[in-house]
Amino acid sequence: MAGLQLLSEYGLRVDGRRPNELRQIRCKMGVFSQPDGSAYLEQGNTKVLAAVYGPHEVRLNRSKTHHDRAYINCQFSMAVFSTSERKRRPRGDRKSQEMDMNLNQIFESAIRTELYPRSRIDIYLEVLQADGSNFSACVNAATLALIDAGIPLKDYVCSCTSTLAPSQGGAPPTPMVDVNHVEETLGGPGLSMSTLPRLDSVVHLELSGTRLHLSHIDPVAEKAATGAADIMAVLDKAVRGHVAQCLHAREVSGQGADA
Amino acid sequence: MSVHIKTIHPMKYMRDFLARNIRPDGRKLSEVRPTAINVGSISTADGSALVKIGNTVVICGIKAELTVPNAENPNEGFVIPNVELPPLCSPQFKSGPPGETAQVSSQFLADILVNSKCVDLQSLCIMPDKLAWVLYCDLICLDHDGSVLDACVAALVSALCTVTLPEVKFDAITKNKTVELEKRRPLTLICFPFASTFATFDENSILADPSEEEESLCSGTISIVTSGDSLYSVHKPGGCQLSENRLSECISKAQKRSLTLRGMVEKSMESIKS
Repeated sequence: MAGLQLLSEYGLRVDGRRPNELRQIRCKMGVFSQPDGSAYLEQGNTKVLAAVYGPHEVRLNRSKTHHDRAYINCQFSMAVFSTSERKRRPRGDRKSQEMDMNLNQIFESAIRTELYPRSRIDIYLEVLQADGSNFSACVNAATLALIDAGIPLKDYVCSCTSTLAPSQGGAPPTPMVDVNHVEETLGGPGLSMSTLPRLDSVVHLELSGTRLHLSHIDPVAEKAATGAADIMAVLDKAVRGHVAQCLHAREVSGQGADA
Repeated sequence: MSVHIKTIHPMKYMRDFLARNIRPDGRKLSEVRPTAINVGSISTADGSALVKIGNTVVICGIKAELTVPNAENPNEGFVIPNVELPPLCSPQFKSGPPGETAQVSSQFLADILVNSKCVDLQSLCIMPDKLAWVLYCDLICLDHDGSVLDACVAALVSALCTVTLPEVKFDAITKNKTVELEKRRPLTLICFPFASTFATFDENSILADPSEEEESLCSGTISIVTSGDSLYSVHKPGGCQLSENRLSECISKAQKRSLTLRGMVEKSMESIKS
């Protein structure tokens, strides 16, 4: 792929976006009937489903309860057909286990777990089509599913992955936001950041791929943080729209305050 | 008040409804839930379909790979279905290796493919004894609300309709394979089997397309796989007895339903061609 440049001479990326442009995000909440909360999110061609069960009683493994807060269990799984090469182990391999742990820690710090002692919240994520920024899309989908389940959060957890296009023609290297599969695999650094935008705090930061020079860390991290804040605007709009729809449906069906 | 009776006496709740020939969700006894079929939504898969029957959602993705055929059947390829019932679809499933229900469903689909010969395995062979296609069909249930077998069979057949295989040239002497990803030919299906599940209740009532709560209360289920004029499989795992008349009634209802489902699949295929 010698001729493939991440950034063309007109400043356009491989899919025609500008360096600070996010992909189109489409999301829907309350898509399934069985889980307590569910959400479907598309970030460009990356399609992710999230389902939340809980808070509920811990039945089998009593050792996994905390006396003062809820136990969060996240499971990240990629569908076998989600990548261009058939994925042999959808879950349970090291990369997925690492993602499970990262997700657990992100949501333990974002969910108000002190409100549900001795109970358990399960978050299941399924990637149906992987086209880059899979982890970030999962975090965003999980946030929507948690909101759909009515679990109190400290803030929206928004995540974004950014990279650095190598310098060409003397121009300085340009940070680019919301990477797709081609940009991820071409071997540049990938900085994945999850933030609580309104509280202006970072809950998760991961750098993978090649090394990043110290002078470039700030612009790339800032791009990811701005990307996350933009994603929050999209998620917020989706949540408000969904709630308005639910209220309208309730009014139409004549349900009052009693269940 | 009705919510409390449902929790404390679920059978009485169910029987009261059936006595008036209606079901708790308002359907008549032989009415099926609204079905929707959507094909070709996963572009990383060689064929895909999403089927929604009421609240039950199953997605099927097919990936094609090259392999060496079996020595016993040197000019046949393979179609391998695999059903996954993840904990995301229902609180009754735990994470871990495939449970009993998932394995039984996978075997059920494999048996249907063999019985109905719906895919001509010889068309999957590129060079006898040297190279053939293997189609890995992975089905994931995303929401479990009863009649999962119906949704799985429908998703499998719809996804097989959308599979396109690239041209492969194989040189037997140099063992060189050239795959032309741009030239794709669609897979032709010989027949379109569809499944219909019925739940028997109290030896009197037969409910078509049971939901999850009806399945948990019923005394037995029966799944019939047909395709308009041919009967491919009848799966009745125990349960209460069923008279011959009732069985023929179920078979004819299943045949009618398979024709409707076939029409829906063809309509969704048209919509992606345009």
